[in-house]
Amino acid sequence: MNAFFNGEIFKDSLWLLVKTLPTVFEVLVLGLICAWAWGLALSLIRLSRFRALRYLAGAYIDLFRGLPLLLLFIFIYYGLPHAGLKLNALSSGVLGIALCYGAYSAEIFRAGIQAIAKGQTEAARSLGMTHGQAMRYVILPQAVKLVVPPLTNELIAMIKDTSLMSVIAVPELLFRAKEKMGVVANSTPLTVAALIYIVFTIPLIRVAARMESKRRKRRPGGKPPAGITPEAGIADAQLYDADIAAQLPKGGYG
Amino acid sequence: MTSMIELIDVHKSFDSLEVLKGVNLTVVKKEVVVVIGPSGSGKSTMLRCINGLEPILKGKVIIEGEDLHGPHTDPNRIRQRIGMVFQSFNLFPHKDALHNVMMAPLKVQKKPKAEAEQIAREQLCQVGLAEKMHAYPDELSGGQQQRVAIARALAMKPDMMLFDEVTSALDPELVAEVLGVMQGLAESGMTMVVVTHEMGFAREVGTRLIFMDGGVIVEEGDPREMIPNPKEPRTQKFLSMVL
Ligand SMILES: Nc1ncnc2c1ncn2[C@@H]1O[C@H](COP(=O)(O)OP(=O)(O)O)[C@@H](O)[C@H]1O
Ligand SMILES: [Mg+2]
Repeated sequence: MNAFFNGEIFKDSLWLLVKTLPTVFEVLVLGLICAWAWGLALSLIRLSRFRALRYLAGAYIDLFRGLPLLLLFIFIYYGLPHAGLKLNALSSGVLGIALCYGAYSAEIFRAGIQAIAKGQTEAARSLGMTHGQAMRYVILPQAVKLVVPPLTNELIAMIKDTSLMSVIAVPELLFRAKEKMGVVANSTPLTVAALIYIVFTIPLIRVAARMESKRRKRRPGGKPPAGITPEAGIADAQLYDADIAAQLPKGGYG
Repeated sequence: MTSMIELIDVHKSFDSLEVLKGVNLTVVKKEVVVVIGPSGSGKSTMLRCINGLEPILKGKVIIEGEDLHGPHTDPNRIRQRIGMVFQSFNLFPHKDALHNVMMAPLKVQKKPKAEAEQIAREQLCQVGLAEKMHAYPDELSGGQQQRVAIARALAMKPDMMLFDEVTSALDPELVAEVLGVMQGLAESGMTMVVVTHEMGFAREVGTRLIFMDGGVIVEEGDPREMIPNPKEPRTQKFLSMVL
């Protein structure tokens, strides 16, 4: 037991590890903003009428969903310098997260947009709105509500995946915990790191679960959202379940 | 020029399925053209081709003298002049009635907010929903939702209106309130194309009746003559089923 939970080392490591949190938050917030902005852009391109761009966006999404994030981090940090592009560890981390999670987010946004009944676009277009106006004023405001739960799940995965940046020497939680483990020859620092991850992830997991059960109660059985016939409402919910759920990270992507 | 809508030999396919097989139709100002026909005969598709929601394969769609598919035509601008109401209402669920109605004047016509709101209030009063300005679509009955949808289309001050089976999704007791609004609109001189199975409406409000089957217009005429005495066998068969 002492090997995993030593009071003295616990106190020491706690402070040491908490001090890394600003760095973790910085990467996370920047990565999140970039990944979601990039993902939204990709999804809109993917649903645009420009065939070549659509194809490119699709290829990008497939590629980056198929690559391990760990490989991406290593490539950006250790590989790109050979091509003359040298990024510091932090920027490498943000870029890796944006590239990889941009692809996942794009699929979530696409599913959300497509889950909005076709009738909504038709109604908007019949009023003279352009494709862009229909997206902006009618489709996206509704899609945003649908994508909040899957994006929350994505955030959870992202938090865990910041630990992968320990291999590119970003001074984050796991990196420091491993360092300390070596010094004290004891696993307590790892226990502390685990606790810190959990403090952030568990509340989010609960929130996501709550949103999920609320959605289940509201949508298929209850009154369908206005403007959608009951059948369409159920079809949407199924599409949502099948499509968005399928995109969700089941754990880390590493 | 009084010709509001002209369809000239319009063909439309979904992949290999030919849905419109050469439709010719001219609608003049203040006409109320009622379109009937069996399910799948292409009625909705024809309406959607009139305002360019569906691209066409062949033929011409001319709206108030302008070729909808002309090289210099902006279909979005033409659509502003064509109101459309759908069977499934398609109200924007994230906006209350007032904002459903004022959205297009505000965002499409770029009217000042106060003016757009004024227009929306007037339109909602017109359809008898002065009390429901701030209700969200899911707080309204089907009939009320459909009236908001009509008000929303009218807020753009369109020159013509298309109605696609707008009472088919309604409980029977709610049909009359929507038909009443449409009748009022027709009496005010609006040019209308109405796909419906309400033969009473066709007889009393329609100025022309069109029977569609298999992607073509099979027969047309004065509803008061055509309903009791259809000429084509297919029309006879259809009418005997719905009457
Ligand atoms: N988006 C679509 N894709 C493929 N087929 C369609 C589509 N819309 C309509 N159709 C087909 O076109 C035919 C005519 O449909 P529609 O115009 O809706 O008929 P109606 O309104 O007279 O019932 C039907 O066979 C229908 O299945
Ligand atoms: Mg139809």
